[in-house]
Amino acid sequence: MAAIIETRNLTKIYGGKVKALDDLNISIEEGEVYGLLGPNGAGKTTTINLLVTRIAPTSGTAIVNGFDIVKNSLEVRKSIGVVPQDLTTDEDLSGYENLKMVSQFYDVPAEEAKERIHKLLAMVSLDDVKNRLVRQYSGGMRKRLELIAGLVHDPKILFLDEPTLGLDVTTRTQMWKYVREIQEKLDVTIILTSHYLEEVDALANRISIIDHGKVLATGTSEELKSNLKGDIILATMKTDKDAETLMKYPGAIEAKENGPRAVRLKVQNSDEELPKIIQYISGNSLSITRLTVQKPTLDDVFLEYTGNEIRTEEPTDTRQEMMNLRRLRR
Amino acid sequence: MSGLGPLTSRELKKWYRNPVSLLTGLIQPFFWLALFGSAFSKISAFGPTLLDGAPNYITYILGGVLTIIGLFTALFSGVNLIFDRRLGVLGRFLIAPIRRSSIVFSKIFASSARILVQVGILILAALLIPNGLEFKHGFTVLDALILIAAVMLVALIFTSIFTTLAVRITRPDTIFGVINLVNLPLLFVSYAMFPPGLMAGWLSDAAKYNPVSWSAEAIRTVVINGTLTASQMHSVELWLGGLAILATVLLLMAYFVSENEIRE
Repeated sequence: MAAIIETRNLTKIYGGKVKALDDLNISIEEGEVYGLLGPNGAGKTTTINLLVTRIAPTSGTAIVNGFDIVKNSLEVRKSIGVVPQDLTTDEDLSGYENLKMVSQFYDVPAEEAKERIHKLLAMVSLDDVKNRLVRQYSGGMRKRLELIAGLVHDPKILFLDEPTLGLDVTTRTQMWKYVREIQEKLDVTIILTSHYLEEVDALANRISIIDHGKVLATGTSEELKSNLKGDIILATMKTDKDAETLMKYPGAIEAKENGPRAVRLKVQNSDEELPKIIQYISGNSLSITRLTVQKPTLDDVFLEYTGNEIRTEEPTDTRQEMMNLRRLRR
Repeated sequence: MSGLGPLTSRELKKWYRNPVSLLTGLIQPFFWLALFGSAFSKISAFGPTLLDGAPNYITYILGGVLTIIGLFTALFSGVNLIFDRRLGVLGRFLIAPIRRSSIVFSKIFASSARILVQVGILILAALLIPNGLEFKHGFTVLDALILIAAVMLVALIFTSIFTTLAVRITRPDTIFGVINLVNLPLLFVSYAMFPPGLMAGWLSDAAKYNPVSWSAEAIRTVVINGTLTASQMHSVELWLGGLAILATVLLLMAYFVSENEIRE
């Protein structure tokens, strides 16, 4: 499959000093759901804003659907749909009027637009409130409207920037369902940013982990996890002495204490290593009370590559998030 | 300029769907005429020469009030752009494949449309109230066109300036400050309300250069005289010409600034 988006040393420096994006090179294939995962301030939104031509790069460029984002921004804008982080629908218009207006921006013929808008409204279960003013929508409804506002002109590529920021857990899972349905039925390439690991894990086929404006790793969720080299085995022993003996297990890459009488072993492959550990335990007549195998999560992958937990918040983005929450609540 | 149609219709929908703005828009012309008409009606006592031959003060100030209505609505034309930015709607426009200038021009055109409606209501109100507007020497189609052209040009001049300002302003209070700073000087350093003969010399001199005066005087001339003499026509041509040149320059400025400078 051919790349539908390719960035070439894409760099963005704000105000001459803040390097938000540093020689970014990513390639996104047609038809995939591509996740950009990173902590707040990593450069995800900057990447999206550059690719959708909302801002101009400091250096480098990107090709989106065959068009250069610097030289041919109008063509780029025609072939993409965007669901920005902020709410962008007009509260004083109805849901239908908002979508109608967006369709006119893209010169969608009236009949075609009407048909498409109805289909999209039904898809996200908004058809019975379509004539209500957006001001009266709930937070979840507004987010769903935002989602389909990016789709009225039948774009080839859909950008979702933190699509569930500020939503509660139930509404978030519901949004995931809609995103999957859209991908299946409408055959669009989706680029998704999120700082929710579960979200990227649930939706994306391929993930890039990004921090400080650089890509640290790219692959499927499975690939990234297996690259971690090793699974974790947690064992709790009956006595301190038994724990000490287990710490000396020769097959472990790394052995650590993990609480009283508890041992954390890092092994190459838990499936192969587990029988050997059990043999070792019975061979040394150790008594064990608990044994758990931990497959790596995306959390671990993230920790490995960025060296910190994903939930670290930066003050500016917290403010942004609060603003979003406030908007949603109204 | 793709996007202009849907964006202008959005602006107008927001306006006529707001019952308060609709109602105040209807009442305001009566206020203007009733208050100004009676407050300054004593001017009539100075005799018709001072009022350029107008039969009453309402007929005299109609040109001024029409211009001021256009001016005041125009001063607020940029406010919605700032709110669009604040509420995030502007983000949607900026990622759409539309000309960026259409975002600003939709405000200019929507404000102008509102002004036209207000002009219609105001003229109707002036005709309805007692001792109101009198067309003593008739009112021709050409007169009507001159009247509309004058108000529209004032509207275009000030909507251009104030929407251009809003291209980069992020806080509504900033533009409110600017509006408060300029509205009264524009009103009082002009011939909108008072005949030059009643003004202090320096004020009257300064008022000559105010486009608000040009529009007020042009409308006044056609309303009072109906069919114009050659010299009256010449003055009207000069006033309208000045307004047209200024409007063109400022519209061009609005176009280039909005195409290149508009940001979220």
